[in-house]
Amino acid sequence: MDNNHKAGLFERFIYFALSSKIIKFLIIISTAIAFFATLTMLTNELVLARMLPGKSANTYSIYIDTPTGSSMYQTKKVTSCVLDILRKENEILNMEAFYGQGIPLDYAGLVKGSSMKQTENVAEISVNLTDKHNREEPSFLMTQRLRPIIDKTCSSVIPGTSIKLVEQPSGPPTLASIVLEVHGDNIQQNRKLSIEVAKILSETEGLVDIDIMVDEVFEKFNLVPDAEKIARSGLGMKQVNNILYLAFEGMVIATKNSEYHSSQIPIFLVLSKETSQFHSSSIDSLKAKLSSLNLMNMKGMMVPLSEVVHIKKVKSIPMIMHKDLNRMINVIAETDMVSQLYPLLEARKTMLEYFSTQYNIEKAGFSTYMFDLYLTDKRTGEKFLLRWDGEMKVSLDTFRDLGAAFISALILIFFLLVIYYKSFALSGIILVGSFLSLIGVILGHWVMDMFTPQTFFLTATSLIGFIALMGISSRNSLLLIDFAMGLINNEGVEKTRAIAMAAATRAKPIMLTAVAIILGSALLAGDPIFGGLGVALISGTVAAVFVSLIFVPVLMDNTSAMNKKEKEEF
Amino acid sequence: MPQNKPYEIKDIAGKLALGFLRNPLTAILGIVLIAIGWIALETMPREEDPQIAISGGSIIVPMPGVTPSEIENVIVKPLEKKLREVQGIEHIYGMSIENVGIVNVMYYIGENREDSNLKLYDKVMQNMDKLPKGTMQPIIKPFDIDIDVPIMTVALYQKPNSKLNPYDFLEEVQALQHKVNAIENIAKTTLQGEHIQQFNVEVDMGKLSAYHLSMGQLMQAIQSLAVSVPNVKGKSSDGKLVLFGITNAIESISDVQNVIVAQYMGSPIYLRDVARVEIGIDKQNFRDVTLIHRKENNISNPFFKQDTPQITLSIAKLAGTNAVFVSQDVEKMLEEYHHKFEELGVGYLVTRNYGDRANEAVNELMHHLVITIIIIAIMLVFTLGWRESIIVTFSVPAILAITLFIAYISGQTMNRITLFAFLLSLGLLVDAAIIVIENIHRHLHEESAKDKEMGALLVEATDEVGGPTNVATLAIIMTMVPMAFVGGMMGSFMKPIPYNVPVALFASLVVAYIFTPYLSLKLLKKPEHDKGDKYGQ
Repeated sequence: MDNNHKAGLFERFIYFALSSKIIKFLIIISTAIAFFATLTMLTNELVLARMLPGKSANTYSIYIDTPTGSSMYQTKKVTSCVLDILRKENEILNMEAFYGQGIPLDYAGLVKGSSMKQTENVAEISVNLTDKHNREEPSFLMTQRLRPIIDKTCSSVIPGTSIKLVEQPSGPPTLASIVLEVHGDNIQQNRKLSIEVAKILSETEGLVDIDIMVDEVFEKFNLVPDAEKIARSGLGMKQVNNILYLAFEGMVIATKNSEYHSSQIPIFLVLSKETSQFHSSSIDSLKAKLSSLNLMNMKGMMVPLSEVVHIKKVKSIPMIMHKDLNRMINVIAETDMVSQLYPLLEARKTMLEYFSTQYNIEKAGFSTYMFDLYLTDKRTGEKFLLRWDGEMKVSLDTFRDLGAAFISALILIFFLLVIYYKSFALSGIILVGSFLSLIGVILGHWVMDMFTPQTFFLTATSLIGFIALMGISSRNSLLLIDFAMGLINNEGVEKTRAIAMAAATRAKPIMLTAVAIILGSALLAGDPIFGGLGVALISGTVAAVFVSLIFVPVLMDNTSAMNKKEKEEF
Repeated sequence: MPQNKPYEIKDIAGKLALGFLRNPLTAILGIVLIAIGWIALETMPREEDPQIAISGGSIIVPMPGVTPSEIENVIVKPLEKKLREVQGIEHIYGMSIENVGIVNVMYYIGENREDSNLKLYDKVMQNMDKLPKGTMQPIIKPFDIDIDVPIMTVALYQKPNSKLNPYDFLEEVQALQHKVNAIENIAKTTLQGEHIQQFNVEVDMGKLSAYHLSMGQLMQAIQSLAVSVPNVKGKSSDGKLVLFGITNAIESISDVQNVIVAQYMGSPIYLRDVARVEIGIDKQNFRDVTLIHRKENNISNPFFKQDTPQITLSIAKLAGTNAVFVSQDVEKMLEEYHHKFEELGVGYLVTRNYGDRANEAVNELMHHLVITIIIIAIMLVFTLGWRESIIVTFSVPAILAITLFIAYISGQTMNRITLFAFLLSLGLLVDAAIIVIENIHRHLHEESAKDKEMGALLVEATDEVGGPTNVATLAIIMTMVPMAFVGGMMGSFMKPIPYNVPVALFASLVVAYIFTPYLSLKLLKKPEHDKGDKYGQ
């Protein structure tokens, strides 16, 4: 069988193909068509790209933010509404509710400011599920299913509440999938813009958990001390402030060290709950309460507090946020099982239309901030900036860096090959050949997408797989070229015959290594995160086999670099 | 075809093959490789997510009674401008809130944490004199992620039959916390949802005005009694030391109840007359934590109707230590406390265990690896023969052993991404061995093989594919190396890939050149149809 004179079926096929110009031409043309056809699958959104897909975990958390100024009582009400829904779930092992604080820090909470929470209007729930191996529903599908139910039932308990279901990130943690920073010096207009932006985002399909990261303006009462009255009654400003705080908030006024206990015991003084409660949230009830709270002046006389202060109803002043010295407001949104890219583009399109009536809009140049919009108010000339940040920015940065890594890899390989073969043509053939495995990668994702119930994304891991594939298919071509050159130069075989023989002989190890890679990656393909890599390796390798055994021989036959070399050239 | 001329070795592949082919140390080398790989696998720190050096911090400057826009102007803006001078800062976030200004600083990913913290302190301290009047001492809080993400959380709660007070319960928990803190490699433990003991004095406003008293008077009355004095040293006439202590005026709750706050018409008014005085918990602390769980933590049981108040103990480990070992130690500690807790009616539930998850992930990979190796071995049995299959199968653990060991001594940990790197290289690293063995196989079955000595044939077969295999492997390595320069969060997240895949590939070459010919010599023989063979029958 392995006899030089007896040609195998495959060798005869290759030899036949190489001998006919038409067939060679057809092979090249069909390869080129296949390559560009698969590329259009990306632009036609038949294959969707995303940084990293969701990861099935055994836990997720829920962030509850009632409007700024809400009480713990109100926050607890919302939380218990959420907990009641979750109690009906069969796959939840246990839950922990953390009031007025974040859950013990985790990867997601790290950048979401979980550890900074300390006010009465926040709560977090940590949900622990059964083991993912014995559970049918992955955590990301569960949150997707529960999100609308929770949102519909519990957000209305206290109007203005935002409830977010937060999954463990499969990649590096970010503030949110989509972060839109509204930059601008005019605070009022910034607020207005951010509300409009949030509205557009919430109307965009695929975006959920939209939240404007700004304090709500709520009504509060200001007690304005009357300095003259205070001085005349023989009181001090400080005394007035202290007593007010002591009466309603309470204060630790002393601590007791005890022989029987290991820690100090504080003594806490406050008005009793029954007597400090207001009848309603109004100036009159506040005034009534203050009038029965007395202060003792220096002469030992009692002065009702209401005598020395005016009560004024005011709006609270919200926090001012800066980023890199600019005033800005964050609007954040999460994606619901979709890539953040497509909702972003859609929302941006809507924004372009929506804001064009009031603003002159300028688009950002080509950078990783390329989706930014610069707005100039037509009337006042004030400038604003809508900047896209969050996971999208990280994705773009990563794809840019990976792209650069990819290009430098290409250049490095090319130089390596040029050093080895001392021929640009041969090196070029190998590079072109290895690039074509992209056909397989994209087709593989498309096929996978059709067979899986959820969208199967082209992810960063697919990209890494593709980069690795470049090396693998260049190895195939290398072995092929090396073998053929050996036959031509050492054993004097005619060029086309030698290429056909080389293709036939190397077919076996090429197939073997391909099968090894396919089998080695088969287990990966089912993994939610590394699935992209697995599919890229499997389908890319299949494409690489065809490319190296059929397409590369055609190119080899066409180049003069493969011609028999004179001895001294070696 | 030249038949008697000895084959001239052109490539390093042939040299390696020749050098180790009949070397008795080759077998020992193989065993040593597997052994160090196993040691690395067992002792390498395991954790779920790779460590990312995020450095940054918050500067909190309180200034009471000032509106946000004023805070912005006098505190946040100048501070931001000063921090702009520090090198390595990526983003500065300023927050101007009523009464307080907060500036958060994020350094570029990968900046040295100690240096960054120092720079932050330094810059703030240098400009202390520029702070406006009325500000309080600024607080600088650097954050670092290595230490702060707890690997384990334990929910401790009181069962319905427990007779403990909430604060006695806290003391039990604190005793446990102290013990846990003593475990090796534990960095920081924190409690959440804890309530301390407190004497609560709740004043009735109606009575207060009836007795003609003010809150201030009550405060002063209590404060004047609640003092602790250290022992007093006196000297006796003969120079000896005489110690006497003063007992605290307030020792128990009844002492507080009996504080005389005023005299009214000659009769004393006690605190208990105007206020409810009780031993209780710090009720002003609204930061509760509750547990919603099922009986025996089993999903076939329904949830308990009531939310159980709980104390969460979070445990963080030191950077670069094994999450698996640490969590196992903590579990052992909990076991020890089990009996005592049972008596006290205290229940506990481990609600987070990254150690378990890390272990599971690593074991899952090992499982994957074994399955994959078996599948590849079976495939090779059919295509090349079972002896060849054994040779290739051996090369996989040898390559992984080298890679693991190098990863171990270079201080990496075993995490999701390291495993990813191994999985990625798995398909690639049998290639070199397959290519070599296939060429040996082909040479053995060629007609010219019968005239050659077995060793020379093996070396020639290895050397022949050496050149292109080297270049091809180098090409794959080159595709991986630039990934090391990807910046940002994602870059440092996937660092293990460019670190480990090239090592694995390089190891695969060396193993293929050394062990494949060596094992072939031991296991393979020329096909039987070759007459005149030295093994001939």
